[in-house]
Amino acid sequence: MNRALYAAATGMAAQQKNLEIVADNLANADVAGFKGAAETFTDIASRAGTLGTAAAGTHVMFTQGKLERSGGPFDLAIQGAGFFAVADGAGRLAFTRNGEFSRASDGSLRNAQGRRLLGTRIPADAISVNVASGGAVTAQTATGEKKCGRIRLAEFASPEYLESAGGTLFFETNASGKARFVDPGKRGGPELKFGMLERSNVTIVEAMMQILAAQRAYEANAKGVQAADEMMRIADNLSRD
Amino acid sequence: MDGIAWAASAMSAAQTRLEIAAQNLANGSADGFRRSLARGSLHAEGVRVDVVRDDTQGALRRTGRALDRAIVGEGSFLLRGADGRTARARSGAFTRDRFGALRDDLGRTLVGTSLSRGSYVRSGFLESSNVDAVGEMVNVLEAERSFEAAQKVLSAIDQTAQRANSKMSEFK
Repeated sequence: MNRALYAAATGMAAQQKNLEIVADNLANADVAGFKGAAETFTDIASRAGTLGTAAAGTHVMFTQGKLERSGGPFDLAIQGAGFFAVADGAGRLAFTRNGEFSRASDGSLRNAQGRRLLGTRIPADAISVNVASGGAVTAQTATGEKKCGRIRLAEFASPEYLESAGGTLFFETNASGKARFVDPGKRGGPELKFGMLERSNVTIVEAMMQILAAQRAYEANAKGVQAADEMMRIADNLSRD
Repeated sequence: MDGIAWAASAMSAAQTRLEIAAQNLANGSADGFRRSLARGSLHAEGVRVDVVRDDTQGALRRTGRALDRAIVGEGSFLLRGADGRTARARSGAFTRDRFGALRDDLGRTLVGTSLSRGSYVRSGFLESSNVDAVGEMVNVLEAERSFEAAQKVLSAIDQTAQRANSKMSEFK
C-alpha cells in the first residue's frame, strides 16, 4: 500500500513540476525572444520494487518565433540560429534572442537588464541608425554616413545545454560548447532583421491546454493517494474489530 | 479452502491493483511509458493478480524539437549508459552533446534503433504514454472497493468464528 501511496505522490510532484514549467511559458508568452520549455518524465520502477515517476530534464524549445515589425528604433530580430551576445558590467557574457535594445548615454546598445550588445557603439551625433542583414551598423549623421561596428551572432555546438538564467538570457556551459561568433547574412546562415522583434514561440492556447491536462493529472494522482490512505485505514481497523 | 486466507488473498490482490493503477497514473506524462494491466485469476490458493504490460502504441505528439524522436510501430531505441550497458527505451527526447552524440535525459548515448518490420522513426515527435487517466481512476476506485469488500468478508468470518467459539464454551 505504501508503494501505491509513494507512486501516486511522485505523480503529484511530477504534475506540479509540469505546471511550473507551463506557467513560466505562459507568463513569458509576450516577451520577445522567449523560448518555451517542456519537462520530460521517466518511469522510476525498479527491480527493488520502487514505483513512480521522476522529472528527467527540462528542454528549451529553440524553435523560431514569428518576426514582427515593432517600430523600436534599435529593435533587432534573428531569423535562423544564433544568439545576441550581451555583456554585464563585469564583462560576463550572456546570450539572448531578445533584440529589444535601446541606446545608452555612452552610445552602446543595451537590453532591458542594462546588458551591452557586443560589436557596436552609436556616435552621439547620429540622426538615424541602420543595421544590415549582415550585421553592419551604419549611422546617418549631419556630416554623412558613418560605419559603427558589426553585430555578430553567437552559435553553439549544442544550444540545448545552455544554462537558462531566467527569462530570455542564457549562459554558456561546458556541455553547450564555447560560443562561436559568426557574421549573419551568409548563405544558409542566420540573418538580422532591423526594426523587428522575434515573438516568443509559446502558443497561449497550447499552454492553456497543457495546464488543464496537468491539473487533471494532478487530481487523478491525488485520488490515488487518497485511495492508498483509505486502504491503510481499513487494514488498520482489521486489528481493532 | 480457508475463508480467512481467501479474503486475505483478495485484499492483497486489491492492493496490487492499486499499485498498478498508481504507477500508471504517476507515469501519465512520461513519454514512451507503457501502462501495466492487472490480470486477475482464481486459484485454489485464492485470488491472484498478474501484471501484464500493455504494448499498444501511445499517441504521437508534435513537439517542434528536431531531436525528438518517436517510434511508430514496434521497436526501441538502444541506449548505452555510462556503465557500458545497453538498455532499450521508447522515449526519444534526445539532446545533441558538443561531440555530436545524441543523449537522452538520463545521459545515455543513442547507439541505434531496433525496429520491427514496418516500424519507422519520426523526428519532431514524441510518443506520449499510453495511460488512460480516466480508466486508471476507475481502477483506483475498484481496487479500493474490492479491498473494503474483502475486509468485510474477513470481519464477518471472524465474527462468526467468535460466536461459534462462545457458543461452544456455553456447553462446557
